[in-house]
Amino acid sequence: MTQPIDISGYTRITESIRTEAKRILSDGTVSAVIGYTHVRRKGSTQPILITNPDDSEKLFFSEGCLNNLVVYLTKSKKDVPKTGKIGIVVKGCDLKAVVGLLGESQLKREDIYLIGVPCNGVLGSLINPATELNTKTIAAKCRECTDRMPVGADFVPPVELAAMPQMEATYSDKIAKLEAMTPSERWEFWKEQFSKCIKCYACRQVCAFCYCEQCVCDRNRPQMVEQSPRPSGNFSWHLVRAIHLAGRCVGCAECERVCPMDIPLNLLNRKMAMEMKELFNSEAGFEVREKGPLNSYDEHDDESFIR
Amino acid sequence: MQKQITEANLRLLIDSLLLKGQRVVGPRQSGAMVLYEPLSSASDLVFNEQPRRSAKEAFFPICEDLLEYRKNGQQIDLEDIEPSRFPETVLIGVRPCDAAAMPVLDSVFSWDYKDQFYLERRSRTIIIGLACTSADDACFCTAVGLSPGDSKGSDLMFSHLVNGGFLVESHTDKGALFLESWKDRFTEPDGSKTLPLAQPEATPFDLKKIKGWLDDHFEDPAWDSIATRCVGCGACAFVCPACHCFDIIDEGTEKSGKRRKFWDACGFSKFTNHASGHNPRDLQPKRYRNRIMHKFKYYDDKFGQNLCTGCGRCIRVCPVGIDIAGILEEIEKK
Ligand code: SF4
Ligand code: SF4
Ligand code: SF4
Ligand code: SF4
Repeated sequence: MTQPIDISGYTRITESIRTEAKRILSDGTVSAVIGYTHVRRKGSTQPILITNPDDSEKLFFSEGCLNNLVVYLTKSKKDVPKTGKIGIVVKGCDLKAVVGLLGESQLKREDIYLIGVPCNGVLGSLINPATELNTKTIAAKCRECTDRMPVGADFVPPVELAAMPQMEATYSDKIAKLEAMTPSERWEFWKEQFSKCIKCYACRQVCAFCYCEQCVCDRNRPQMVEQSPRPSGNFSWHLVRAIHLAGRCVGCAECERVCPMDIPLNLLNRKMAMEMKELFNSEAGFEVREKGPLNSYDEHDDESFIR
Repeated sequence: MQKQITEANLRLLIDSLLLKGQRVVGPRQSGAMVLYEPLSSASDLVFNEQPRRSAKEAFFPICEDLLEYRKNGQQIDLEDIEPSRFPETVLIGVRPCDAAAMPVLDSVFSWDYKDQFYLERRSRTIIIGLACTSADDACFCTAVGLSPGDSKGSDLMFSHLVNGGFLVESHTDKGALFLESWKDRFTEPDGSKTLPLAQPEATPFDLKKIKGWLDDHFEDPAWDSIATRCVGCGACAFVCPACHCFDIIDEGTEKSGKRRKFWDACGFSKFTNHASGHNPRDLQPKRYRNRIMHKFKYYDDKFGQNLCTGCGRCIRVCPVGIDIAGILEEIEKK
């Protein structure tokens, strides 16, 4: 049964974000604030970078604020000015990306001012943005989110989180189904999914952890991975993606959300995250990890797979 | 010429075409979305949803082979893909915003270089358009001089009749010939009314005024405020019926391989990257500026039409909510 979700707090969060952005821009705490703003279509939103305190009124927060804005802090987004301290609006899942980037020495904590949003969830897609947030339209990641209250932000709007209705976790469900398949069935499943890929790289471009200045999949002198959008090249691209993000992906699910071909990319990511947890007891969270699970060695690491 | 066809007869017609071994491509359910794909039976056709990708791939596939090479000792054998072997195709249920892009693509693919891969497929295809009866708030065909019932680019145009079935109008010789060769399936129009056309909320743009601004604002702070947020993917260009950039690459081993042509997009950072490493469009706003300039200025300068049919697809898929109609509105107000 579809149940509504109480997002009445988002109005107060909006007010609070505006006041705080205005304050930190006016007193020189930050040189810019990255947040969300309205667009023409009802319910749709887009990222915005403001530098003028008066523009704070343009900021807002709603169930349509899907983007993980943290991608703009990375070195791959060269057009976003990185001078001085930058304020940024983050949901819990986005904040974990900041934490991950701190651990990878891609960001310095003193260069960012985190405005953390107490979050009751966002929509799964903005293709039809004028949609009410309920237990059916909510993003799959939000169904099983345990990080609604950002921890360690510089400012959190003083808004109580409304209680969430009970929702079934869809990722674990789907992963269990995939795990129950035979290897060849699983192969068929992914083969079909990847054959839909048109190599638009939206999944890569929105990923906070795909910050390589040159992706190995874009290299053509020499070519490392087949670039044409065909089944074999698609497979290589997705394997590279999955492996490079293992132990780093924080599950913001942006890749899956933006894929115009609806490929369930986060299923792969979640599965990798489960493996990381099981093998190295490592998972993305609010605490900076000095070293990621795949670039550190511990003599207790499971080596049973070496035969 | 006007005719009429019942839904049952249309299905029979499609099934007869398929039985004859004819390739019929139309909107069909593909996983969770609708795409233009070859039909295996008339019942595959889906009329009430705009396909996620445009119909351009019927002539300009996502990826295609151009030639094959094989090395035998010192000898290199090249084998061309023969465009004359492309199958005759009936492309049916085409949205007016997709069909209208065909003449636009024709101009560029038959301009200084005649692209046989595009042109051969194009000449072997009949386009059957279908008027739209519903639109969402991303649709803006009416703002760029088209309409949900526009026949531009269609050989035959179908419109839903109030009591089921379609009114059929032929706009080209190809269309007339098709009606003639399947005349048993069609009847004379009985005067039934067609369903009202969709009514996109968009008001017509003053495209001349917009072009006027573009003509002398190659450098403008607006580009930064519009497009610093652009993350530089290919989503908008790939779903667009009118975008037509492609890349060519040789893939394979030293012994054998293929030359392939596949979709490219001006949003990609490597799009204009020179071999030297220099990139004249080094930042994303410059790349996005090209998208707007190409669509509403350069293409107009060269071919007297614009490169956007208002299908709204790029608006729906953009990961960061960039709304081309909103941007045109903004430019028009300047
Ligand atoms: S997939 Fe790997 S190589 Fe490609 S951008 Fe992401 S991290 Fe870099
Ligand atoms: S977003 Fe989807 S279609 Fe685009 S490259 Fe990624 S997986 Fe492929
Ligand atoms: S630019 Fe956007 S709205 Fe215009 S034809 Fe292309 S995809 Fe459709
Ligand atoms: S406008 Fe949107 S869809 Fe197009 S390249 Fe930029 S981010 Fe991608």
